[in-house]
Amino acid sequence: MSDLLNVEKLNVIYGKGKECVHAVKDVSFHIQPGEIFGLVGESGCGKSSLGKTIIRLNDPASGSILYKGQDVSSLEGRPLKTYRQEVQMIFQDPFGSLNPRIKVGSAIIDVLSVHGIAANRTERRERVEELLDAVGLDPAWAWRFPHEFSGGQRQRICIARALALNPDLVVADEPVSALDVSVQAEILKLLESLRATRKLAFLFVSHDLAVVRNLCDRVAVMFNGEIVETGPVADVIDNPQHEYTRKLLAAVPSF
Amino acid sequence: MWGDAWGRLKTNRIAMVCLGLIVLFTILAVYAEGVHVYCKINDVTPSYNVVDLSHDYEAPSAAHWMGTDGLGRDVLDRLIQGVRIAYAVGIVTSLIAIPIGVVLGCLAGYFGGRIDDFVVWLYSTFASMPGLLFILAIAMVVGKGMIGIFLGIGLTTWVSLCRLVRGEVMKHKEQTYVQAAKALGLGPWRIMFRHILPNITHVIIVTFTLRFPAAVGTEVFMSFLGIGVQNQPSWGLMINSARMRLWQGMWWEMTFVTIALFLLVLAFNLLGDALRDALDPRLND
Repeated sequence: MSDLLNVEKLNVIYGKGKECVHAVKDVSFHIQPGEIFGLVGESGCGKSSLGKTIIRLNDPASGSILYKGQDVSSLEGRPLKTYRQEVQMIFQDPFGSLNPRIKVGSAIIDVLSVHGIAANRTERRERVEELLDAVGLDPAWAWRFPHEFSGGQRQRICIARALALNPDLVVADEPVSALDVSVQAEILKLLESLRATRKLAFLFVSHDLAVVRNLCDRVAVMFNGEIVETGPVADVIDNPQHEYTRKLLAAVPSF
Repeated sequence: MWGDAWGRLKTNRIAMVCLGLIVLFTILAVYAEGVHVYCKINDVTPSYNVVDLSHDYEAPSAAHWMGTDGLGRDVLDRLIQGVRIAYAVGIVTSLIAIPIGVVLGCLAGYFGGRIDDFVVWLYSTFASMPGLLFILAIAMVVGKGMIGIFLGIGLTTWVSLCRLVRGEVMKHKEQTYVQAAKALGLGPWRIMFRHILPNITHVIIVTFTLRFPAAVGTEVFMSFLGIGVQNQPSWGLMINSARMRLWQGMWWEMTFVTIALFLLVLAFNLLGDALRDALDPRLND
C-alpha cells in the first residue's frame, strides 16, 4: 500500500540568526490511508510545529512533505488551496478556533463556497446540515453563534468544518486536551467512527499516552524536535526502546 | 454580543443622557438639512439668511429666542444650521478617514513585512506634521469652503485609527480562528475583512464617536480663521462675528453657540468613553 503522507528529513526553524529556534529536526515518518498515527511528547517538543508544517501553516526550512507522492512543502496559491481540500486540521482550543462573530453554519458555508463545493445556496445548507448530523449535532443549531455551545459541541463543529472539504488526512492537534474527560471519550469515539465511515487518516498530536494507546495504530515519540522512537502503538508503549520514552511512560500516573 | 453591550450601556445613566442629546442634535441636523434643501429648490432666501438691519443685535426675546446678530438674523435659526454643518463635517470626514485607516491598518497588520513598513512610515510622516498646519495646507490647495474642510480633516485624521486597527489585526492574526481559516484555504482578503474586521468593529465605533467632535471642533476653528465654511452659518463664523461686539454686552450669540458646541463635543466624548467600556471584549468573559 502506498503512503498517504511521507515526511522526509523535515526541519522547521523559527526566527533567524542567533535567536533562531530549531523546532523540528530531521523528522521522517509516513502515514498510510485510513491510519491513525499518534505523535506524543512533552509540551514544547515541536509536535504542534510539525502538525502545523504539514498543513502548511508554517513553512519548513528544509526536507520534503510528500502527499500522495507529490511534494507539498513549497506549494503556493492555487495548488496550496487544492492541497487544503485534502488535508485538514482540528485545533486544540475549541473556544478560540471558531470566529465568535460568525454563525457556525455560515462558517461552514464560507468554506464550501471558497472551494466551490455545492452549486447553490440550498445545496450548501443541506451540506451543512448533513455535516452537523455526521458529528452528532442537531442540524437546526447551524444558525447559532459559537458562544451558545459547550466545549465538546464546539469541537464537534470544528470537526464538521474540517470534514466539509472531504479530506483524506486530518491533523488533530491535541483535539481533546482542552475538554472534560467524559467529553473527551465522546469526541474520541467520534474520530474513530469517522475513520471507519470515511476512511480518514489522522495525525493525532497528543501528550496523553492513555488516549494515544486506545486510539492510534502507530505512534512516534518526539523529544527536543526529534522523533526518538516510532512503531506500532503496543510495541512502543509496552516495550519502549528509547530512554526518553521510558521516562515519559514512567511519568504517567497509574491508578 | 451587541445585545450585551447595549445592556451594559443602558445601565450607564450619563451615557443615556448623552445619547439623548446626540439624538436631539441629529434631529436638528436633519431638520436643518430639510430647510436648506427646501429653500434651495424653491429659490427662497432661507430664514437664517434674511437680513433685517432694523432688528440688529436684539437680545433674546419671544420673537427671537436667542436674539439676533449684527445683520438682524435669528441666532437660533443659524445655530440649527450650524448643527447641519457640524454633522456634515463629522460624517463626511469620517467617511474619508475611517476607510483609509481601516484598510491601511488591516493590510499592515495582516501582511506585515514591507507593507507594514510602508504603512508605518506613511502614518509616522503624517503624525509628525503639526495637524492643524497640515489641514490648513490641504485646505489652501483645494480652496476655501466645505471641500477644503472635508479633505483637510479627512486626509489627516486617519492615523490614530490606522494604528489601533493595525495593532488589533496583529493580535487577531495569531488567534486560532484565523489559523483555522487559513488552514481551511480562505484567502487573505476574506480573512481580513470577513473574519477579523467584525471582531474589531468596536474599535471603529469608539473611534468614530471620539473623532466626530474633534472634526467639528477643527471645522469651527478653521471657519473662525476664515479658511473654512463660506457664506453658510457655521458655528465658527458665528463665534467670529459675535466676538466683535462681545465687549459691548452682545453676549447671546457667543454664549448659545459655545454652549451648543460644548454640549455636542461633550456628549460624543462621554458616549465614546461609555461605548469603549461597554464594548470592551475583555469585560465580556
